[in-house]
Amino acid sequence: MLEFNPVQYAVPLFVIAVLAEMIWAKFRAPQAYEPKDTLVSLLFGLGSTVAGALLGGFAVWAFFAAYEFRVFDMGPEWWAVWWAWPVCFILDDLKYYWVHRAGHRIRWMWAAHVNHHSSQHYNLSTALRQTWTGPLTFGFLFAVPLVLLGFHPVMIAICGGFNLIYQFWIHTEAIKRMPRWFEAVMNTPSHHRVHHATNPRYLDRNYAGVFIVWDKLFGTFTPEVDDEAIRYGIVKQLGSFNLLWAVFHEWVGMISDILRAPWRHKLSYLLREPGWSHDGSRETSDMIRARWEQRTGRGAALQNSVADQNRIAGAQEAA
Amino acid sequence: MSLPPLLVQTAGSLAAILALAGLAWWLKLGGAPTLADEAALQSAADEVADGFEVADYALSHDRTAALVRDSQGRIMIIRRHGNRFAGRILGTGACASVTDAGLSVDCGERRFGPVHLDLDEPQAWAEAINRLSEGSDA
Repeated sequence: MLEFNPVQYAVPLFVIAVLAEMIWAKFRAPQAYEPKDTLVSLLFGLGSTVAGALLGGFAVWAFFAAYEFRVFDMGPEWWAVWWAWPVCFILDDLKYYWVHRAGHRIRWMWAAHVNHHSSQHYNLSTALRQTWTGPLTFGFLFAVPLVLLGFHPVMIAICGGFNLIYQFWIHTEAIKRMPRWFEAVMNTPSHHRVHHATNPRYLDRNYAGVFIVWDKLFGTFTPEVDDEAIRYGIVKQLGSFNLLWAVFHEWVGMISDILRAPWRHKLSYLLREPGWSHDGSRETSDMIRARWEQRTGRGAALQNSVADQNRIAGAQEAA
Repeated sequence: MSLPPLLVQTAGSLAAILALAGLAWWLKLGGAPTLADEAALQSAADEVADGFEVADYALSHDRTAALVRDSQGRIMIIRRHGNRFAGRILGTGACASVTDAGLSVDCGERRFGPVHLDLDEPQAWAEAINRLSEGSDA
């Protein structure tokens, strides 16, 4: 039981699914794949597994240490408490929403998560473009409340594994829309295409893992529109297939900014949103969207965006 | 002698990765898009910087790279990256030099690399780009 990792078992399915999507692309959308991009994405996936095994030890130790202070105790046979599994899965998905949102709104977290968005393509291989440096952030702390509630760290890890497996299939352009009831509740290819888009209207939207209801609940949901082509990737596209640069570029940029910044602004380059600068020389996603709304006359209803009202980083306005 | 499980798993994954990437090549996925017309150029520029309106441009003869300028005088370099396009608005770190083949533009980012454009009259663009860094010296 303790050795069970659902992701390991899903890897052959990932390979088969990528294979199937490539064949679909051959006949329907050859531009959906680019061999070098695919190679980088897949190597990202492999590297993240190795990095997780090498760097994940501290988080595991922290979870088991926190478990000693749990409020509720499910006993030594915690795995046999059947109702705990769906509850844990749902709460873990809620946790995922917030850690993911933090991953986009706090530059320290973004430095690790940007890896997943670094491709200009959106296909199943993109799903495997997972971070190598997540353990170097404080993302694991978001799971500590679940541990303190009494969910065993292994139960949380297994639920997290199934969450990750679910998210694999939504990284595709091969599926346009799922049935309406499904789109209303679940994260889908359509919703997640929005999340990977750099179009101003879509920036920092749809953070959900499995259940899209979190975005609807916390005001970050935006539906995909059919009359605007989606552009994928990051605001400043890398323009490089160098794997190591793709992995570490934001860390290099962030540390460089911290070293160069005046003392009173150093922490802001760590904790404020990506694109923030103390001299206003760069643009955050909120600024880009505001300019787009002003330029196009759209988005009056989007004024006072939720991200502005509910900043994780505690940021006010860019200086 | 038994190999560590992580090593076996890594080796197996690497083999699958190389096989899939090789398949993408074999299936000739990707393609080689060009900046075929002004609409394509405008679209690529808009992706680099939302709202960038192309007022003037110079397109490399092979249509894989271009220099564009907006009404504010900002100059952007665009080049093909895989089967997509990427670009940068040129700043004070940029420089350009006229070569036998046309124009070589360095945006100042080592990882983005220099961009070579096959242009008929590269001199004016080279001077405009090099003036960007002179402005910072003033």
